[in-house]
Amino acid sequence: MEGWVIAIIKVVFIWVWVLLIATVMTWVERRGAAMMQDRLGPNRAGPFGLFQPLADGIKLFTKEEVLPKKAHKVLWNLGPLLFALPAFSAYAVVPFGDKIILGGKEIILQVSDVNIGFLYVLAIGSLAVYGIVLGGWGSNNKFSILGGLRSTAQLISYEVPLGLALLAVVFVYGSFSLRDIALAQQGTFLGFLPNWGVFKQPLGFILYMVAIYAEANRVPFDLPEAESEIVAGYHTEYGSMELGLYLFGEYVNLVTLSTLVVVLYFGAWHIPYIDISKFLGPVSWGIVSFLILYLKVAFFLWLFVWVRWTIPRFRYDQVMGLGWKALIPLALFNLFITALFIQLSA
Amino acid sequence: MMSGFGTIAMYLAMSVIGVGAMFLMSRALGPFRPTPTKATTYECGVPLLAAGHNRYSIKYYLVAVLFLIFDIETVLIYPLGVRYSSMAHNSWALFFEIFIFVAILLAGLVYAIKRGAIDWD
Repeated sequence: MEGWVIAIIKVVFIWVWVLLIATVMTWVERRGAAMMQDRLGPNRAGPFGLFQPLADGIKLFTKEEVLPKKAHKVLWNLGPLLFALPAFSAYAVVPFGDKIILGGKEIILQVSDVNIGFLYVLAIGSLAVYGIVLGGWGSNNKFSILGGLRSTAQLISYEVPLGLALLAVVFVYGSFSLRDIALAQQGTFLGFLPNWGVFKQPLGFILYMVAIYAEANRVPFDLPEAESEIVAGYHTEYGSMELGLYLFGEYVNLVTLSTLVVVLYFGAWHIPYIDISKFLGPVSWGIVSFLILYLKVAFFLWLFVWVRWTIPRFRYDQVMGLGWKALIPLALFNLFITALFIQLSA
Repeated sequence: MMSGFGTIAMYLAMSVIGVGAMFLMSRALGPFRPTPTKATTYECGVPLLAAGHNRYSIKYYLVAVLFLIFDIETVLIYPLGVRYSSMAHNSWALFFEIFIFVAILLAGLVYAIKRGAIDWD
């Protein structure tokens, strides 16, 4: 009974928490863009314009939905749902802190610590492509279909280096459980570096970062929605909350991917050189580990905004060339080096 | 105590409820006044020039086929990844086995790139 209550609280809490970060992220995105372009950005709704996402949400909810006559009704409606569902579901196995002891019961701060967590994230993450391709195809508009096709080709091309970069992480830690991987990053590596994944997998980390920018359709890989070429890509025909689900799903994806970077490569809730869990009580450590983790996540979320206004968009042949001719051979090389190191140190 | 997968199922249910609610709420709150002009397919300000379901480059298909090969390769190595560090003590046989497996597929990738499968012109 108690287990059920804890599970339900964790599920609802983290679902709403992810939603909240994604909402705030839309505000950070716009304010950050304004800051870099020397303008103000949304500053009217609430303090610093913080209620702007709320206003956007209300606007999207109360807008009319226009179903194009030539569109395939079922697929057209299915598209945004199939895109948003995996985006919202992926967080189920991602840790959001170490553990907390309440009333003598130890609760790990993770919705579910299954031994195949890694595979779950990868599998759910790759489902998003269905939403994009069905939405694009169902719209029956040449811009939408081109956007959908481009997106499919791009997402599946970068999924291979992504999978291979993560595979090297699995080689190092020998576990599919994200919590095990996070716990293994405590202490120091080679005596002076923090024992973080990024120092064991420097090349893998770079490959992963490039691949997630492509997976999340972010600049410089935002060709599926390149407005100067194909209007708005796969969501040209969408309006109302159906468009909202596409846009919002992307931000939720960003949160998931950034948390994964932190958990796999940046020591999750560990701080280099000191083990502060010794100084804190079991309850406060739970809260502090949660805060440390999300402070790191906030940096990687900010990096998405930063990169957006730094690097211009690639051409499509460059995107495909980078994926197949550079990232995949490099990812295989990284795997080779990793396996070789494990062999030599065994 | 619940099993880990039960909690995942709960999380999935939460997502279905949440996303479904957003979807249905916009249906309920938004107006619906279709007109023939409104329902035309989008085109940049002129009457519709070409249908959507047209012929597109074969390259997209080619990329999908290449993806299948390499994704299956990755998936096949995944189970090994978990056990690798504990099995590596015994011998180099395991290392060379994956090496040969990956090398064969890598030769395929080199062939595909040489034949221009990923060149977009």
